[in-house]
Amino acid sequence: MSTRLSEKQLRSKKQRVSARTGRSAQVTRLMPTPLIAVLTTLLCLLVLVPIAYIFLASLNTDAGVAGGEFWPSQFSFESYTKIWTTVGLGRGITNSLIVAGSVAVVSAVIAIGTAYVLVRFTFFGRLTVLRGLLGLQSIPGTLMVLPVFVLFSSAGTYFGISVIGSRWGLFIAYLTFALPFSTWVMVTYLRGLPRELEEAARIDGASNLGILFKIIIPLSWPGIVVSGIFAFLLGWNDVLFASVLTRPDTATAAIALQVFSAGQEGGAIPVYSQMMAAALVCAVPVVLLYLIFQRYLVGGLTAGGVK
Amino acid sequence: MEITRKKFLTAVGGAGALSLALAACGGNSTSSSTGSNGKVDGTGKTLTVLFSTKPQYPQEQQAWFKKTADKFKQETGATLQWETFPTANDEMTRIQTSVVSGTGPDVYGLGTTFTPTAYSTGAFVKLGDAEWNMIGGKDKFVPASLGISGPDDKNQIGIPFVSRPFVMAYNTELLQNAGIDKPATTWDEFSEHGKKLTSGDQFGLAIAYKDNFDPWKFIWGMSIQAGNKLIDGKSVKIDDPTVKKAYETYFGWLTNDHSVDPASVGWGNAQALAAFAAGKAAYFPMTSPLSIPTLDKSAVKGKYKYALMPMIPPGATSRPPNGVEAASILSGDNLVVADYSKQKDLAFAFIKMITEKDAQSDYYSIFGELPTNADAAKALNNDPMVAPALESAAKSVATPFSGAWGDVQLALTNVAVQSIPDLAAGSVSDSDLSSRLKDAQSKSQAALDRAK
Amino acid sequence: MSIEATRKNRRTAPGRSAGDGPSRKSRKRKGVTERNRPLWLLAPGGLLMTLVILIPLALGIYMSVIDLDQYTLRKWLSTPFIGVENFIEAITKTELLRAIWISVSFAIISTVVTVPLGVAAAVVTQNAYRGRAVVRAVFLIPYVLPSFVVATVWKTMLQPDGIVNTVLHNVGIEGGLWLNGPQSYWTLILVEIWAAWPFIYLLALAGLQSVDHEVHEAAALDGALWWRKLRYVIFPYLKGPVSLAFLLGTLNHINNFTLPFVLFGAPAPADVNVLPILVYVTSFQSFRFGLSAAMAVVSLILILIPLFIYLRAVKLDVHEDGVKK
Repeated sequence: MSTRLSEKQLRSKKQRVSARTGRSAQVTRLMPTPLIAVLTTLLCLLVLVPIAYIFLASLNTDAGVAGGEFWPSQFSFESYTKIWTTVGLGRGITNSLIVAGSVAVVSAVIAIGTAYVLVRFTFFGRLTVLRGLLGLQSIPGTLMVLPVFVLFSSAGTYFGISVIGSRWGLFIAYLTFALPFSTWVMVTYLRGLPRELEEAARIDGASNLGILFKIIIPLSWPGIVVSGIFAFLLGWNDVLFASVLTRPDTATAAIALQVFSAGQEGGAIPVYSQMMAAALVCAVPVVLLYLIFQRYLVGGLTAGGVK
Repeated sequence: MEITRKKFLTAVGGAGALSLALAACGGNSTSSSTGSNGKVDGTGKTLTVLFSTKPQYPQEQQAWFKKTADKFKQETGATLQWETFPTANDEMTRIQTSVVSGTGPDVYGLGTTFTPTAYSTGAFVKLGDAEWNMIGGKDKFVPASLGISGPDDKNQIGIPFVSRPFVMAYNTELLQNAGIDKPATTWDEFSEHGKKLTSGDQFGLAIAYKDNFDPWKFIWGMSIQAGNKLIDGKSVKIDDPTVKKAYETYFGWLTNDHSVDPASVGWGNAQALAAFAAGKAAYFPMTSPLSIPTLDKSAVKGKYKYALMPMIPPGATSRPPNGVEAASILSGDNLVVADYSKQKDLAFAFIKMITEKDAQSDYYSIFGELPTNADAAKALNNDPMVAPALESAAKSVATPFSGAWGDVQLALTNVAVQSIPDLAAGSVSDSDLSSRLKDAQSKSQAALDRAK
Repeated sequence: MSIEATRKNRRTAPGRSAGDGPSRKSRKRKGVTERNRPLWLLAPGGLLMTLVILIPLALGIYMSVIDLDQYTLRKWLSTPFIGVENFIEAITKTELLRAIWISVSFAIISTVVTVPLGVAAAVVTQNAYRGRAVVRAVFLIPYVLPSFVVATVWKTMLQPDGIVNTVLHNVGIEGGLWLNGPQSYWTLILVEIWAAWPFIYLLALAGLQSVDHEVHEAAALDGALWWRKLRYVIFPYLKGPVSLAFLLGTLNHINNFTLPFVLFGAPAPADVNVLPILVYVTSFQSFRFGLSAAMAVVSLILILIPLFIYLRAVKLDVHEDGVKK
């Protein structure tokens, strides 16, 4: 094992590296700073130009947006106050946060358990399960929406549980749709983790669950956070299932926003400015949550390595 | 029924949970008790109604929902629960899932052109004399508005709620400046006016070539005025010369007359309206009085009026003998009652309530939606702004009542969609147009052949 | 037990040391993985997926072999069984195959472009600097905006007289027609890329976190140029996550309905008549529910075949050391 280094060697090398480069951040640098600056600027522009358009449109009049104006001829912040009553955006955001948030947490928990078994244990059909999970990911939603509805509504008829229109129904649906993906994210992540640690723990007499909780989970935060983010966004962005599984009280933010896409035949101009304002407002909680959780994206091994 | 169930279960492997799915069938109607005063007693019951949302009037709609629910509670003792859908897609998904599972709203507000499809599902209550009586009689409605309630008088499911007839808006100032004293009444005249009104960056006409709905309405209108109803018994008539002439006229405004903004190949109805509102176009056909709020806030405030769209087909100075005097498709919303509803009496009581004269006048004053109640419509005749629309409503003609109409409409729009690159390039060749029409004809005919 | 301890045992990059295989196997023989497997951990996910995906999928497949349309919808349980008729019609009489081709090619092109974008974004936000959190958040925004808003915005900007053509005109290029005709295909790709690259970014970001600090140090010691370090040291770590991202990104593009629907409307121009639009039109404008289910099933099958070939090729689902179980 030529690449393995003893603790002592490692330490001395590290000192030399530090001496040579000055700061340890320099060591992990992946690109020269000017290049980072250029790429970052380009990518930010790519994102921000259309966002700027959305923002300007949210301050414009509907007719102005329809007429193709980029710079509004008159500015108004009215849309940002109107949206709260137009579509009950507050209630929509609350519902979305509750549903998508719990989906994120629960799917991450289930996914890490499932992935742990799939990565670390052999059993008959393991590969089939792994591939099947990706196969499930390719089923078009349009094929599923009617059967899912029929199934959920019959739960009401036969068991007296009203699933349709409750947050539970939506939660179960999104949780399930998120699982194949979350599981795979965890599978790829867990595979990168060293086995030696687990095996040492096992020799020390740790149980499977013990290993999962004491070793796997603490090492997997970036994976958990990413799979949680995706599960969250799946619930946050979905319109198809929410449109049949929710009722006014339980409508999600995406459904509330959908109202703005209503194009009346031969009638008025769509309320573009409120549409744009609401879209930006809805992005805020997600971006904030992301800002809170993104620190864990540097967790795991790197955090352990960097002192 | 039992046999099918078994077959079905074996077919899919008899998974236990599947039997859950079999809730679908039936739906028994238990009628509400009718009190001695003839009123429906719905105490303790809940009636669910599905309506489209009105993002332009959010608070007004909430207020109207509440007001109507309160009144309904007072009259019947029942609770009214409103549900809304934003787009036609969502509505269709809701209808599809409800029909299959046999659960869902009791009353639906449907777009008129969707009524034939709803009828063909057989999932909505057919209105006999008893039902019409519960609503307050057929006579209370504007006669033309009943035209798309069912295939014939005896088989109707739709109760007209609002009317949304199409008219054209014109810029009075621009017409006056060009020396045109009254809006066009034939399509040829309309084309002429278009040319005359075009100069510089001002265009004669605002046409939404890329709209998902507008194009087929023009083509249908010009065709029926020339005597072609597009569906005649068991055959589709898109390959008829009248249809081709209609497309040539419709495209010709841009390609031959140059009286339309070249950018309009990318426009939907909203963009065309915006162009008219900015004073950049003199005529804006295929709009409705719902555009009043937008126009009154725009550069053309006080300088626009509505008129009927021409009713003399292109290339003619008078309507041919078999031509139909059609000002607009019969457009608006119908109410239908679901067959699976367990409280049909309540549903009809609700429909009676919101189609009464005062309720309809009130609805108009809030949302600008034209009444289908004859008395309420009559009361509006004095308003010069909406009079043309009311006249258009009276001269509206129903699109063919066929389960295949959706496909015809789709095929007609598709001809326009696929011609847009040619339009942008400046001309649609005769051979391309013919082959697109042929394709549209065969697809529509196939759909009609399936119709039951 | 600290993480420090593992560092001694770490290899420079996953999948490098071939000599590790046998030793691992011998350890396994001591009887850790074969017995005592916590297979019950698979139960919650398995149960949910059976109930909410597999049973509805079976119902969906059942729908594809019956003559389900608006006339029979209400009595769907007694709707005549017509076997493969829907499938034959879907393949021979509709534009299904062309739609699948458009969808798949558009999806692959979009993914191929988003991968370098996403990886670049992950790499440039890897090192901490003041304001990095903000940049990371900015990168997430396109993914968070609802599809129909993204589509509406781009549709407005890409109008024939819209802002894009105006800007292009000013620099001497005629933009032409973006939302119809042959160019619409590239419009779809462009907008899809804009909306979807953060997906790759997030997965690549997670992948970067599994790079051990030591690896950085070793590379620094060798004095490797930054791009050699990226190429030979860092990218091998990203292979797994990015292969997964590539696959899932492509599948997501194929199934994206809202974006093309709002951009181009239905019926769609022939060049962007993608699969979800075709299925939608068949379902909700022609009301041929059975036929549209058959279309969905055909496309599912046609997508699954390359999917499994891909899975074999990239070995996503076997252990990194290539030992098949």
